[in-house]
Amino acid sequence: MSRWMERTMIVFCWICGLVLLAAIATIFGYLLYQGLGTVNLRLIFGNISAVDALLLRKHVFAGLFPAMVGTLAVVTLSVGFAIPVGIASGVYMAEYARGGVKWVLGFCFDILAGVPSIVIGLFGFALAIFLHRHFSAGIYPSLFISSLSLAVLVLPYIIRSTQFALENLPAETRLIAVALGATKLQNIVYVLIPKSLSGIFSGVILAIGRCAEDTAVILLTGAVAFAGVPKSLFVQYEALPFYIYYISSQYANQQELSSGYGASIILLLICALLFFVASMTQKGVTYQALYRA
Amino acid sequence: MNDPVKIKIEHLFFSYRDRFVLRDANLRIAENTITAIIGPSGIGKSTFLMTLNRLWETIPGAKLQGRIEIKFQGQFQEIHDRNYPPTTLRRSVGMVFQTPNPLPMNIFGNVSFPLKLAGFRQKSKMADRVEQALKRAYLWDEVKDRLNEDALLLSGGQQQRLCIARALILEPEILLLDEPTSSLDPKAGAVIEELLVNLKNSCTLLIVSHYQDQVQRVADIVFELAEGKFVPMPVWK
Amino acid sequence: MEKITERILTASALISAFITVLIFAFLLIFGLPLLQGGQWFGLLAQPWSPREGLYGIRPMLLGTVYISLLGMAFALPLSFGCSALISVFAPRRFGGFLRKVVQLMTGVPTVVYGFVGIFLLVPMVREIFQGGSGMCVLTASLMLAVLISPTLILFFVDGFDRVPRSYLNAVAALGGNEAQQFIFVILPNAWKSVLSGIVLAFGRAMGDTLIALMIAGNAVQVPGSVLESARTLTAHIALVIASDYDSPEFKSIFACGLTLYLFSTMMVVLIRSIGAIFGRKEK
Repeated sequence: MSRWMERTMIVFCWICGLVLLAAIATIFGYLLYQGLGTVNLRLIFGNISAVDALLLRKHVFAGLFPAMVGTLAVVTLSVGFAIPVGIASGVYMAEYARGGVKWVLGFCFDILAGVPSIVIGLFGFALAIFLHRHFSAGIYPSLFISSLSLAVLVLPYIIRSTQFALENLPAETRLIAVALGATKLQNIVYVLIPKSLSGIFSGVILAIGRCAEDTAVILLTGAVAFAGVPKSLFVQYEALPFYIYYISSQYANQQELSSGYGASIILLLICALLFFVASMTQKGVTYQALYRA
Repeated sequence: MNDPVKIKIEHLFFSYRDRFVLRDANLRIAENTITAIIGPSGIGKSTFLMTLNRLWETIPGAKLQGRIEIKFQGQFQEIHDRNYPPTTLRRSVGMVFQTPNPLPMNIFGNVSFPLKLAGFRQKSKMADRVEQALKRAYLWDEVKDRLNEDALLLSGGQQQRLCIARALILEPEILLLDEPTSSLDPKAGAVIEELLVNLKNSCTLLIVSHYQDQVQRVADIVFELAEGKFVPMPVWK
Repeated sequence: MEKITERILTASALISAFITVLIFAFLLIFGLPLLQGGQWFGLLAQPWSPREGLYGIRPMLLGTVYISLLGMAFALPLSFGCSALISVFAPRRFGGFLRKVVQLMTGVPTVVYGFVGIFLLVPMVREIFQGGSGMCVLTASLMLAVLISPTLILFFVDGFDRVPRSYLNAVAALGGNEAQQFIFVILPNAWKSVLSGIVLAFGRAMGDTLIALMIAGNAVQVPGSVLESARTLTAHIALVIASDYDSPEFKSIFACGLTLYLFSTMMVVLIRSIGAIFGRKEK
């Protein structure tokens, strides 16, 4: 390979790096430029005072508050569903499953991780229809359905990060408690899980981030543009990412458009924060990024 | 020299991943002695230790054939007997590893951990047992005022003595030690050697070591593991 | 106690795996009327023309393929260059900085990319090409490339970094420079990661909804050029969801869903076989 070709390759790589940096800088810069001015309490609470809004004394009509509450609610519920099932499955995969069973289950989880989010949303929608027909007429696409669907979306992440964390414990760590007479379960509960906690935790954080930013699933399962703060599980609700999507095509004036930028900045901050927390608690960030499919 | 036998190993074959460690090995270990196993690096001394508390079962691809009997309370017990659970075995056969491995708990928590595993509930008795174990491990005086401290704050030598105390708290009749001082400085190692000699009265010790001088100082009986069998070696006292 | 816990853990894993199957089942059941009688392939081949009673998803299928492929075409060289930069050619600190930036980029919500795309990129494309609305295959592919590049880069970098230092040292000791180390040592050893990364990213590209939905224009047609509007399978689902339950249009979205599900499953199989081939080579 001639010097000339090597030089060209290196130059090409540098150009790529600069292009990427330019792209992200432009995107961030543009967003901040357009939206930073609007990020204030007014954006969130509209004309109502923050205290009144937080205590749910008054409805916020022209602010992001209901959407933020909606996002908070849906994230909490979905992660609440996904964590127990996900960690339990991850423990099973790492500590109990063997051979053919492990292979098949792993394959299923890989497929689940790869299913596009809109298809999961479609599943949620279909599930709502099914439950509506066969169970209770009160079930519609709602906070409940969205949380179940989002739980399905992030389940593979929690399973895989739990499994990965457990499987990567040093061999001797596995033996300490066993040598002291511990049963398999005692070993898992008293030593293995506590030692894997950082890995499991960052999987959870990643799942939270994924739920907060998702739009495709909630679009199909209950998110709407105007619904106020959700009062029960079985109602439609607002969410931050959905608001951004909605505004992008339905904005009536410059102010609404600006609020879209403001909302984007807020959502960006939330996700960046979560991602930052996850990267602090786990060294294998690349792995995490990969599973953020 | 006519001490009663504590461990009987007969026609033992052990391999993992088609690597033979023991081929028709036979060994008798006398009670209340320190028996040392020596041999070149990588020959399987540590792996052999694991056959005695059935930790070998955690090694992938491991196969074992033969008889291992240990005398508990006057009666010989085949340790692979179906009715004899490995968890019970490991409460009577303690193990100390090469590198100290305290758990992320305080000192008291670490030492009392085996009691917790065994379902021991009486909190009052626990403190006594912990004190006793730490005394046997020559660590009590150094930590008695800071039992609540994180075990990981101790020095290397102290951590290893902590692990010894932890292994002793269930009062095992046998203690297996896998190169217990190789990760420590000579001074710390000397303390441990002294405590091991003192444990002889209440315990039967089996120690793997590649330090010739340590073996000569500490052991009563020495075997070399060579070509899958145990060869008795002289001890110059 | 032990037994009960083991049963619970097993049950959790089985339920989770079952969900994977359940999704497929639901898609199948709901799409059934439209799929019966071997209409499946007809569906894929037919154009979408409600007036003529044709609910083929062919335009959307091609929309997905075109946008994904074009997006990959932009993303691959870019990611390759960036990853080589991070792993090999850039000085430590800059490489570390770039890596952090890329990691941060994976945390950016897709909807934000879409939003900025509409108001920044679309007018730009409109200006440059003097015509059309700017909401077309090209714009969507560009944004998609920005979306999937970080994942690709991190995957590649991970693969490059796994190559044992000793190989690199060997080449360096023989007088090889960095570029040569990259070509002769890193690439041949990391090809499996590179390939898996490509497959994974392609799966992501095909499965993306928002960028295509917000930027590609959503016209139900097979795009004649990159400057024309198109609709993807994913966007189609989002757009049609508001239709009446029993209409055939509605059922077409389940056909889209099935297609996407099968596509993504194929990607998983592909990745696993790449891993399997690699495993065999090792022995």
